[in-house]
Amino acid sequence: MSALLEAKGLTVRFPMPKRNPFAKRDWLEAVRGVDFALAEGRTLGIVGESGSGKTTAAMAAIRLTGPATGEVRFRGEDLLALGPEEMRLRRRDLQVIFQDPYSSLNPRDRVSHIVREPLDLLGVGDDASRDARVEELFSLVGLRRDQLPLFPHQFSGGQRQRISIARALATNPKLIVCDEPVSALDVAIQAQILNLLVRLQGEFGLSYLFISHDLGVIRQICQDVAVMYLGRIVEQAPRAALFSRPLHPYTQALLAAAPSLARRKSAGYQRPAKLKGDPPSPINPPPGCAFAERCPKAQAKCREERPTLAPDGDSLVACWFPG
Amino acid sequence: MALLEIDELKVTFRTRHGPVTALDGVSLRVEAGETLGIVGESGCGKSITALSVMGLVPSPPGNIAGGAIRLAGEDLVNTSPRRLRRLRGSEIAMIFQEPMTSLNPVFTAGDQIAEAIMLHQNVSRAEALSRAVALLDRVGIPEARRRADDYPHQLSGGMRQRVMIAMAVSCQPKVLIADEPTTALDVTVQAQIFDLLNDLQRETGAAIMLITHDMGAIAEMADRVAVMYAGRVIEEGRADDILDLPKHPYTRGLIACIPNVGKGEGGEPPPLAEIPGVVPPLHLLGAGCAFRERCGSAFERCAAERPRLLGPAAHPAACHAVEEGRP
Repeated sequence: MSALLEAKGLTVRFPMPKRNPFAKRDWLEAVRGVDFALAEGRTLGIVGESGSGKTTAAMAAIRLTGPATGEVRFRGEDLLALGPEEMRLRRRDLQVIFQDPYSSLNPRDRVSHIVREPLDLLGVGDDASRDARVEELFSLVGLRRDQLPLFPHQFSGGQRQRISIARALATNPKLIVCDEPVSALDVAIQAQILNLLVRLQGEFGLSYLFISHDLGVIRQICQDVAVMYLGRIVEQAPRAALFSRPLHPYTQALLAAAPSLARRKSAGYQRPAKLKGDPPSPINPPPGCAFAERCPKAQAKCREERPTLAPDGDSLVACWFPG
Repeated sequence: MALLEIDELKVTFRTRHGPVTALDGVSLRVEAGETLGIVGESGCGKSITALSVMGLVPSPPGNIAGGAIRLAGEDLVNTSPRRLRRLRGSEIAMIFQEPMTSLNPVFTAGDQIAEAIMLHQNVSRAEALSRAVALLDRVGIPEARRRADDYPHQLSGGMRQRVMIAMAVSCQPKVLIADEPTTALDVTVQAQIFDLLNDLQRETGAAIMLITHDMGAIAEMADRVAVMYAGRVIEEGRADDILDLPKHPYTRGLIACIPNVGKGEGGEPPPLAEIPGVVPPLHLLGAGCAFRERCGSAFERCAAERPRLLGPAAHPAACHAVEEGRP
């Protein structure tokens, strides 16, 4: 299977402010040696809590944050090695849908122009064909033609996210990074947007790199899932394996914590895997397994030696005592 | 008589579009030791219901135009501000959505909890502070004595919400209102907060009013549920009845559109059910059912007449189609 996008040893670190001019600089390693591969026409979900590095990893892969080290191959070509102009042109194939539909659309711009702008910037087609494309995109995402000249504030949150999707689709990309595209929306609207994303994927053979903290959403839309904790992938598996047989204790805890209609107070439901505390700081992380402090199964080895991703059935898991 | 009774509550707001009815005849009751979940989309009036009970509806532009709120039989709508201040914090307390903005950044966590205790109980500052430390310990903050001296910015989101909870339960209130207490938090921390609230309820027998948009939270936390839409309660009942046998088309849609970690293991999940359209703006509601534009079961009567909450007292719904037994 040849991957559309493949990251190897992807690392992103940010300098921290020094306490004084002579102090040694601290680095915050947001993403630490992450490998993943996304096949054409599929969806890879990255799930994790705030601070796990899921957004940074995805954004670094398409060079929207940096500086990143490692290797990111898009159709065999290393994106991290491209010059600025080459990278700019490559953005035709790499688009993004952001989390917050209120801050990701320019409030002073008419939405028709917002959707058209990628075509203008990347020089796709001529003037008339661009206008026609914008109209086509509007109907694709379920907006009306008479809404073209309006401004973002005249739309609801769900409609704004449709505009973001239309903008991302404008240049006919191969890959769309979806950064929590539904977490700011009400559940009823969330379902509309998720179904729209699935429909568009089928229609255009898109690949999604889908970031979310919500396992329900991930299960709905992703064929493959990577679970991140403190900058590293701790488990990676096809959907069926991850949800039926989670191997990493953190994945198990995430699944136990996700609210579910099946867990009823009336039936005296008690959570099996209770997690204590918060994730540790990504500045100077602990030497062993980053999850050891919160893990119900942790032993001395976990605190000293860091487990690496190893195959277990269909899954990859980084744990000394998986299962 | 229920511990907390809300009776035909009507709240209006002055807006650019003229007066808007944010709550239109909302009636709810909560018994001691019980958790009532209030669920609905943004703008359905669930938070205004909570603020009304606390006497915190901003006025103007808000105004309680009718109805009654009674705590153990005592009217809260027409009581004096002085009496309301007595009750707030000691008898009814509230946990807000955003622990970051609802704590005072220039006082330590311990000070803020002690303040609540000193306001309502006749104790010294030292005694109040030591109770604050005990409370922090009870809500699961490690090294509570040291953490009591921390300012809010030194605490993580989950710990800030625990401080809020410690403050809310500091005077053993009879009614605890939690307005989306976990939306700003990660799922593992959300699970900790839910477990904590359930434990505290078991210990103190407090009534909890949980406001949420998350049906999963309802399943885990609530004994009874009220579903709200456009300022009205449209269905009410035991949590199991609402989740397993929802009557109102809106409730059915809300439950069907949730991507669920537990729905049929493995495999490709079927597409989600959708509720088409969006909640109509409150100033454009008109006469009929507020949900009719989005409803698959709507018929002529829905445009003409607003449905009332009818049916068995244990599980009423406000829908003409349900009332007439239409499919």
